Amino acid sequence: MSVIELEGVVKRYQSGEEVIEALKGVDFHADRGEMVTVIGPSGSGKSTMLNMIGLLDTPTEGTVRLDGRDVTDFTEDQLTEERRSTIGFVFQAFHLLPMLTATENVELPSMWDTKRDRHDRAVDLLQRVGLGDRLSHTPSQLSGGQQQRVAIARALINEPEILLADEPTGNLDQDTGRTILEELTRLKEEENIAIVAVTHDEQFVEYTDRVVRLVDGEVQS
Amino acid sequence: MSITDALWRFPSVQMAWRNLGRNRVRTALATLGIVIGVVAIASLGIAGVALQQQATANLGTLADEVTVTAGEDSTTEGVTEEQVEEIRSLAGDAAVVPKKSNRTTLTSRDGQEARVSVTALTEASALYDVSTGDNPDRLQSGALLTNSTATQLGLEIGDPVEYDGRLYRIRGLIESQSGFGGGGNELVLPLSALADQRYYDSVTIVAPNGREAQRIADAIEARFNEGDEEVLSVTSFASVQENIDAFLNTLNLALIGIGSISLVVASVAILNVMLMSTIERRGEIGVLRAVGIRRGEVLRMILAEAAFLGVIGGVVGAAVSFAVGLVVFQVLAGDPTLVFGWESIRYLLIGFGFAVFASVLSGLYPAWKAANDPPVEALRG
Repeated sequence: MSVIELEGVVKRYQSGEEVIEALKGVDFHADRGEMVTVIGPSGSGKSTMLNMIGLLDTPTEGTVRLDGRDVTDFTEDQLTEERRSTIGFVFQAFHLLPMLTATENVELPSMWDTKRDRHDRAVDLLQRVGLGDRLSHTPSQLSGGQQQRVAIARALINEPEILLADEPTGNLDQDTGRTILEELTRLKEEENIAIVAVTHDEQFVEYTDRVVRLVDGEVQS
Repeated sequence: MSITDALWRFPSVQMAWRNLGRNRVRTALATLGIVIGVVAIASLGIAGVALQQQATANLGTLADEVTVTAGEDSTTEGVTEEQVEEIRSLAGDAAVVPKKSNRTTLTSRDGQEARVSVTALTEASALYDVSTGDNPDRLQSGALLTNSTATQLGLEIGDPVEYDGRLYRIRGLIESQSGFGGGGNELVLPLSALADQRYYDSVTIVAPNGREAQRIADAIEARFNEGDEEVLSVTSFASVQENIDAFLNTLNLALIGIGSISLVVASVAILNVMLMSTIERRGEIGVLRAVGIRRGEVLRMILAEAAFLGVIGGVVGAAVSFAVGLVVFQVLAGDPTLVFGWESIRYLLIGFGFAVFASVLSGLYPAWKAANDPPVEALRG
């Protein structure tokens, strides 16, 4: 069973007088242990699609299933709970909090969960992405590649089923981007998670199990 | 880092503390606004208390006294012994001092003359403060004389004064009374000195406080005077004190009202600062929401930031107000330690409370706005 599934998803935006159709009936699925790359030019609807998969936005038409459950009509609070427990995010611009150390940034998604102490897992994850000696550094003391590794560790803190990466190598040079991709591939297997990456970086293709090409809001087969 | 360690169990508070540390100048300026507001409210409040205490002290014990004399409709030329007894039963614990009065001229050995009013009574210590000599609870013999008169006539303790052909030895020198009714030269003698007067000219009742004085005055009024009939005329200064108190309370409220304006201005500044900082951090808050931080948790975090500004500003403001209070009491009352009284200390608490309340109130809208921003919009920036 697919961890995440989009079925006939349509997303329309009202932009002034105009109605923009960003997604025109997209079918998509991702399974545990696989890395799927969504490639497409800008304006193809990649980000909109990622927002649907990440439960950050709801479709105008169609169905979104998480672990086989229909979550299309979930309220914002229900979606927040699902994001917290099943989905990890990695962003192009890292989006680490500048006043927190690497460890605290990794703990952030579980911080309000006072019943469980995630400190040990945070340290473990940082060690696994090669930052065992940077635990107390703040983002400004880390390089771009290191920051993105912290962001990956943060995405994994709550033991998600899906890791979503929005242009994870977009702000990095080619070599650093390559190490990040290797890191993701390794963690995909170690944690047995589905990784969905959105990019226009063709470098991804050699690391992924499956490529989905999106053009003008439609999947090209 | 010890503060953040202590706050570890409260993630919203911890995050708020960190967030405030990111832009210290802005945090300090927002706090300064609150400090000024608290100082304005608390110091003006304390100044009001100092004024009130000073006014009460100046009025002296006068407000606690009730004076009873024969009224227009009295059948006798004064207050009778029976009436005094009834007044005693109405007055409870308050001292009841029946007095007879007259006037006389005292002459010294070298021919100096002084007009004095003569008061004959028993319970001398209830009414007079003696500066030198003896102040008997029951004046059976001897005399008390005002200090200034004694000086004028060259009299000292132990010297005799003559009244109505009899000699009285001076036992004590009394201070001129403070307040409205005092002043003037007075010779205080035992009641026996005016034994030929059948009735008392007046009865003075000394109550423990103004309120009790008013109660006794009302009770006497009700007991002796029916309708418009005035058998006994009752005079009390308690109502004067009440009026003065009411005026000072109004003054105090007005002062605090003026002080509140600065706190309102400060809370608008906090509203502005919080709004700016949540707009600046919009993307960051979007990330928090994306990784599964609940709306309520974001709301609490930003409210905690506002509350921090209020608490820090409130504490500093209260400390500054306390210092101002010391100065105010030193200047108005000459005793800075009076600031420790609950009357003035409570304005520090009021100022602090208002600061926290106003800050949290100002944080509500920015917090609500940040928490309910759709994550997709927020992430887009």
